[in-house]
Amino acid sequence: MTEPEEIRAGRAAATEAPPVFRLDGVTKRFGGVVAVEDVAFDLRPGEVHALVGENGAGKSTLMKIVDGLYGPDEGMLEVGGEAASFSSPRDAEASGIAMIPQELDLFPELTVAENLFVGRKRPRTGWGGLDWETMRGEARKRLDELGVGLDATSAVKRLSAAEQQIVAIARALVGEARAVIMDEPTSSLTERETRQLFGIIQDLTAEGVGVVYISHRLEEIFEISDRITVLRDGHHIKTAPASELDAEELVRLMVGRPLHELFTRSQSSPGETVLEVRGLTREGEFEDVDFALRSGEILGLAGLVGAGRTELAQSIFGIRHPDSGEIFVDGKEARIHAPQTAMERGIFYVPEERRSQGLILPFSIKNNITLSILDRISRLGFVSRSERGIADRFMRELSIRGAEVSAPVNRLSGGNQQKVVVAKSLAREPNVLLLDEPTRGVDVGAKSEIYRLMDDLAKEGKAILLISSELEEVLSMADRVLVMREGRISGEFSRGDATQENVMTAATGTAGREVSEDE
Amino acid sequence: MSEARARVAGTESGARFRRYLGRPETPALAFLVLLVVAFSVLSDKFLSVPNLESILTSVAVLGVIALAVNQVVLCGEIDISTGSMLGLCAVAGGAAAQSTGGFLLPLVAAVAVGALCGAINGTLVTLGRIPSIIVTLGMLYALRGVILLVTGGAWITGVPNESRVLGMGSLFGLSAPVIVLFGLFVVMEVVGRHSTWGRNVYAVGGNRRAARLAGLPTNRVRFFAFVLVGVFVGIASMIYMGRAGSVQTNTGTGLELQVVAAVVIGGTSISGGRGSSLAALTGAILIGVILNGLVLVGVPGIWQQAVLGALILLAVTTDVVRRRLVGDGV
Amino acid sequence: MSSAVEVMRRLRFSRELVLLGVLIALVIVMSLLSPLFFTLGNLLNTSRYFVEVGLMALGMTLIIITGGIDLSVGSNLALVSVAVGFTFAAGLPLPVAILFGLMVGMAAGFFNSIFITFLELHPLVVTLGTFALFQGLAYGLTGARAVSDFPDWFAYFGQAYLLGAVPGQLIIFLVAVVVVWLILSRTSFGRYVYAIGNNEEAARFSGVPIRRVKVAIYTGTGLLVAIASVIYTSRVYTARGDVGLGLELDVISAVVLGGASIYGGSGTIGGTVLGIVIIAILRNGLLLAGVPSTWQLFILGVLLLVAVFLNEFFRKGEE
Repeated sequence: MTEPEEIRAGRAAATEAPPVFRLDGVTKRFGGVVAVEDVAFDLRPGEVHALVGENGAGKSTLMKIVDGLYGPDEGMLEVGGEAASFSSPRDAEASGIAMIPQELDLFPELTVAENLFVGRKRPRTGWGGLDWETMRGEARKRLDELGVGLDATSAVKRLSAAEQQIVAIARALVGEARAVIMDEPTSSLTERETRQLFGIIQDLTAEGVGVVYISHRLEEIFEISDRITVLRDGHHIKTAPASELDAEELVRLMVGRPLHELFTRSQSSPGETVLEVRGLTREGEFEDVDFALRSGEILGLAGLVGAGRTELAQSIFGIRHPDSGEIFVDGKEARIHAPQTAMERGIFYVPEERRSQGLILPFSIKNNITLSILDRISRLGFVSRSERGIADRFMRELSIRGAEVSAPVNRLSGGNQQKVVVAKSLAREPNVLLLDEPTRGVDVGAKSEIYRLMDDLAKEGKAILLISSELEEVLSMADRVLVMREGRISGEFSRGDATQENVMTAATGTAGREVSEDE
Repeated sequence: MSEARARVAGTESGARFRRYLGRPETPALAFLVLLVVAFSVLSDKFLSVPNLESILTSVAVLGVIALAVNQVVLCGEIDISTGSMLGLCAVAGGAAAQSTGGFLLPLVAAVAVGALCGAINGTLVTLGRIPSIIVTLGMLYALRGVILLVTGGAWITGVPNESRVLGMGSLFGLSAPVIVLFGLFVVMEVVGRHSTWGRNVYAVGGNRRAARLAGLPTNRVRFFAFVLVGVFVGIASMIYMGRAGSVQTNTGTGLELQVVAAVVIGGTSISGGRGSSLAALTGAILIGVILNGLVLVGVPGIWQQAVLGALILLAVTTDVVRRRLVGDGV
Repeated sequence: MSSAVEVMRRLRFSRELVLLGVLIALVIVMSLLSPLFFTLGNLLNTSRYFVEVGLMALGMTLIIITGGIDLSVGSNLALVSVAVGFTFAAGLPLPVAILFGLMVGMAAGFFNSIFITFLELHPLVVTLGTFALFQGLAYGLTGARAVSDFPDWFAYFGQAYLLGAVPGQLIIFLVAVVVVWLILSRTSFGRYVYAIGNNEEAARFSGVPIRRVKVAIYTGTGLLVAIASVIYTSRVYTARGDVGLGLELDVISAVVLGGASIYGGSGTIGGTVLGIVIIAILRNGLLLAGVPSTWQLFILGVLLLVAVFLNEFFRKGEE
């Protein structure tokens, strides 16, 4: 394992060369809203430049300008020292800029080899047909360069998320990219796969390719990046070498409040066991899971992405069906085949993906909140007028800001949208709340409001299962911590005993990596 | 890293076998073989060369159109106007044959009319941004009206023999329709594997957004697929006219359903991005075999429509069931 | 922020106003084409054949809002007509035959819903298959035969007048419109329909009983088709296996003309009713002017294309 220090030192030499691309004084507006204003950003060859900021800070707008999806209203873009103006991602690609979005934009039915060549000039044989042999060979060469052995002839749909990401990077390389923009690249990767990705990033930068790394994961950012740029509300706040910043200051720049003030937790007094799970198994996802959840407690469920936590929670909620095992609610066995059954037993799940799973974006805030309780507030099927009052109450209690209750929910910011999803679950008055990454992609201000809400709910006697990949969050909020690794429970710690080390050890099965900043 | 490579080496040969099993046209081909065996057992007239050739000839019109509609479906669209299109192209070709005779002029007339209809479909779908199901549903009826307008209700008869070559001719013992069918099949296979447009069709149908971002001309790709349908319908209409010797105002009615059935039964996915020309051909032959087999076994013709409907349902059901069993991400 | 909401509301009003304007213009044009058009008797008679399409369009509205489609409604109509007529001819008392027909219609809709919900197949391809299957069954079971010797009272459904001059079916239709409108706009079921059409996955995570809703809308449409079929059979006083051809075009056109997005998520009963009325007036006016039915289909086909195009055009304006 290479130390972050060494990487950074090695790449410091690359600071002399002219930038791969440079943005200066860039402003972009959508309708009346300013997305970015007077922002400067540059990427040097061979560097990893992290771009951080809350949701809505303007990171993706800025990169979409570089990628040719938008044109700036003001300001300029320079590539390799020359002014550039793109009208499509194709233009950007021709100038050596490649973007790898979170959704990857690959073609699942086509082979790995073909994916590398879609939209590009393909090699042809003598008689004019496509030269598949050469394309496969080229694909294998690129994959070897990345140090990965993948079957170039297999369909992309058969690959894992990490393998698909590597294909996306290979595709960028075939296009002779000099700059690769990665948007939340590790959100679906396991720890091992993240290591692999970092290795690839190091190889890329050694070749002089610049990497823009957009992420919310501060630990990764400090490990991999040379410079960090912070955006806030569309403005450029600061750009500095990573060695000159630390996590606390970074958060302060992003939001204006220091890190430690966001985490609170009252003393908990857990009561009866409200949810118990025994021997729950679902092939390929999780195996032989046992745990108990008591009223008034927050049970943290830590682990790496892919450990099976979401699958477990969704099985308790009835979205998936376990192959074997039992679930007990308030001591009585529950056969949960559908979300409705789980809801009737007092369980509610707040999903990971807010926009695609949690909300109906064109619906009003009110209709989103009451969607889960329509059956309860309807008489003979007709929706009661009390609906409006219920929605108003939740708007107040959860401090949902940004639009009126009858406005479409897609007007709200990420944090407020998340609160609407939580409101929907609370409207059902569940006894057990399964929260899956409740603060992901949420600005730091709304995060603390959600933490306070969780604290209040626990004090009221609700039982909360908190699934989170952010270690600090779990350690601060949970009364007990369960750790899952590759589908099994690998550790259990009480609040007093849980530390970063022992949780990471249980999550990875090996000694955790050193944490360089605060301790 | 080396473990990953070792894993790859061991499974490449196993993977290739599994890949052939997983190909979209495999179930249909297997079913076809099964049916051929079953029918030859049930009726000794089935497996004779004249009967087999007659089956292939009778599905030639269907098969030629299916090869083109296959491309439209692969793009993620659909075309249910082909029945009326066939009627209109046959009228155009027939009129040319009646007035000037010859072989080339009627064919050119039919293909030109077909291409025009296809272009209208394509324009409405791409520039008009109207879903193809609606466009082609509307065109299905609109074109039927145009046929009435142009013919005034009268049939076209007395087509000279020289214009009926595509339907009546033969070469080396094989009938012209069969030659045209297999010829176009080979062309489409080559186009599908070796032409930029052919590969782009798979990309556009597989992930339209990514295709657009990769710079593919998604509108042009789809437009061309609709025009191709028009061209192939034009050719097929000359096969039809050749065999029938006349054109009625209701020529082609109901054909569009058989075409979609052929494409879907053969294994091309209705959601796009997955399938092949072999799937379309197999599907067309399968329909021909089934309908022919039913006649030989004694089932009256009025049941054909019901059988067709049941087949479509059966085909898409087995596809879904198979993909769930194989774990193909359904 | 609130001014944007106002603009949006105005745009939405304008679509329905445009439809109303088209309706009025159409009435004027048709009156000019034929002096017989603008008589109370004719207008009320027009309502006869839009009731059949209208009933089916009510069900189709909900289906299209959920992002689905049903191409088999015309064939279902034929199947129910045959079920009623031929069981009656075989000796079953007519009221029982009618009941049987209603059940057949519902069963057909239910059949569709099984493939769509449990097998999760695309409604387009399923209803394409059942379009052929139902029509094939209707025709195959009956051949070219027809049943016409119904008792006199049977004509009541399709040909009676209530309150002097109002056709009987109109009352049935108005009741159906009110019922379906109430369901769609005021009940939790209606909310579920919109939720599924906008984001089915989020609806699932919110506990919406998706399967139950889908089964209900396809089966319910089957019932509406069956009622329409009984009225139709009574009106033409004959049960045959080869009827209902092309009806799905009218039905889908009405819904789309009324403003529903073919992609799902939006649509109203009011819009659909306006769409139905426009199509009915178009058909009636053309008939009176002596335009043959193939031409009518041609015009309808063009109308459908124009309607969808305008829909999406307006929708882009709203975004």
